[in-house]
Amino acid sequence: MSNLLEIKNLSVVISEDKRVLVNDVSFEIKPGEAVGVVGESGSGKTLSALSILGLLARGLKIETGEIRFKDADLLKCSAEDLRNIRGKEIAMIYQDPMTALNPVMKIGEQLQEVLDSHQHQISDQKAHILNGLAAVGIADPNRAFDSYPHEFSGGMRQRVMIAMSLLLSPELLIADEPTTALDVTIQRQILALVAKERKRRKMSMLWITHDLGVVANLVDRVIVMYAGRVVETGTVDEIFKAPKHPYTAGLLASLPAAGRDRERLESIPGVPPKPWQVLNTCAFAPRCKEARDICSSHRPELTSNNSSSVACFFPLGAKQ
Amino acid sequence: MSLSINNVTKRYRIRARKSVVNALNGITLSVEKGRTLGIVGESGCGKSTLARLIVGLEPPTEGSLLWSGSPLGQGVKNTIRSRHSKTQLVFQDPYSSLNPRQTIGACIAEVLKTHKLRDDVEINARVIELLGVVGIAADMQTRFPHQLSGGQRQRVAIARALAAEPELLVLDEPVSALDVSVRADVMNLLVDLKNKFNLTYIFISHDLSMVRHISDEIAVMYLGRIVEYGTWEEVLNNPKHPYTKALIESIPEHTNVRGIDFENVLEGEVPDPANLPQGCAFHLRCPLAAESCKLKVPELLNASKSHLVACPEVLK
Repeated sequence: MSNLLEIKNLSVVISEDKRVLVNDVSFEIKPGEAVGVVGESGSGKTLSALSILGLLARGLKIETGEIRFKDADLLKCSAEDLRNIRGKEIAMIYQDPMTALNPVMKIGEQLQEVLDSHQHQISDQKAHILNGLAAVGIADPNRAFDSYPHEFSGGMRQRVMIAMSLLLSPELLIADEPTTALDVTIQRQILALVAKERKRRKMSMLWITHDLGVVANLVDRVIVMYAGRVVETGTVDEIFKAPKHPYTAGLLASLPAAGRDRERLESIPGVPPKPWQVLNTCAFAPRCKEARDICSSHRPELTSNNSSSVACFFPLGAKQ
Repeated sequence: MSLSINNVTKRYRIRARKSVVNALNGITLSVEKGRTLGIVGESGCGKSTLARLIVGLEPPTEGSLLWSGSPLGQGVKNTIRSRHSKTQLVFQDPYSSLNPRQTIGACIAEVLKTHKLRDDVEINARVIELLGVVGIAADMQTRFPHQLSGGQRQRVAIARALAAEPELLVLDEPVSALDVSVRADVMNLLVDLKNKFNLTYIFISHDLSMVRHISDEIAVMYLGRIVEYGTWEEVLNNPKHPYTKALIESIPEHTNVRGIDFENVLEGEVPDPANLPQGCAFHLRCPLAAESCKLKVPELLNASKSHLVACPEVLK
């Protein structure tokens, strides 16, 4: 099956001083597939996603790489072509709906704006918007249409964001920690809604988060990022049941879980480095139990084996 | 020695909306010395208000809080200072809880001076000792908070709390703002410090897995009331209240791939604390709600000797 989205050797730098923030990242998303990108703050997960949509902040620059969406090279296409893809074929939901929604514009107008800025075949636009609001579980779509974002709770605003992102039936939905700011019972409602809509529309999804629990329950395949690089990829079962990279394994072991020892958590010593400090070595080596000399002198490349890949000279579970 | 919270109510008047928020409603709790009480609940349940009351940042509207028999949070200003060195608070966000223009050494020294805990000549040695206790090297004392990582900053915040030589430490979401890979380190430190200094902890979090890890007893709060209380095993392994059950089922566990049930989801939202429904605050979302739940606020009653539940339907 050909890929819906393909990122090849993406590097993002700070324009001014060329410090590297995303370092040679490659991954792909197949049609209908849900992919989770897991990483801590500064791991490059959000910048990778923003690069896809051409939304990097001023001062950041894509240094190298290729991003293919279907037949288009997103890094080479015109601003106008990109605008047509963004919102229509690739939609995004953000962590904080309060800052993503316009506070002085009614919800209905904001959704209408999405329809106005794209070509489509929808004839009864208001009905389409009301249906969209109802589909995400908003009890009174007519009232919501004439309301402002501040009149809604965090969970309801996130539903509005989801309704907006799904208006033009995108093929790919990118979600950047959309449930991090929500309470757990509300998070579950939103995750259930997203899972349902994804299945119904056979939509692909890129879900960015630091929450391993969410990923384990929502996606098919996982990409683990650390200090600007992809360190491991695999199916959700491979990643959570037999992690190969010592960082993935360490992270999973460090989290408290039902049935685990309550006295001691397996901690990872130290803190994540800045991506630009570790360009030519294994970024995790200083914190790694398995590290040997080569890890601090050479950079391990991401090597694939069937459905999984790992960037480590001494992956766990390998014959040595 | 113990903490006892007796029928505490806290109301905030919101002038602009001409309404009253009942942040806490008749909270009664006790925590024995050396134990860790975990408090869980979602935003607006009153858990952080309770934290502020325990350390005396605010007085309760009604009721009393006692630490080994002497009252907390409603005294005269001067006496609060000495009394409150016994209860200290560690905040969620070490980025905003430390003064950005003060070195971390000065920040800890300030506590020692304020509470007159050391003579001037001894202060520096004590600062270094406290930093050592939380695993920060002595030469870091001249650094400013922005030169530290999130985990280090939270360690400094913990050292500052310990500087007052407290007996009770209130930890309000102490690891929620930290990167996932450094949380375990700080949790381990908290467990070590508790054993070393024989501390009593109130551990407040929305993260049930952290609460499960550290707590001896757990109180589950919903809209200003305790809905369930018991040992951690009773509350988490044998939850009774429908809200506690929903909360536990909502946690996506990384050890249980595809384990979360997206079919039977607890619907509805947490009501506005300024406009609470009559009766049980949970009845609008509750799968067990009966007619009587809409009328009367359920009392916290014994399900077993140490396990309390505020739900007549599950106690039938």
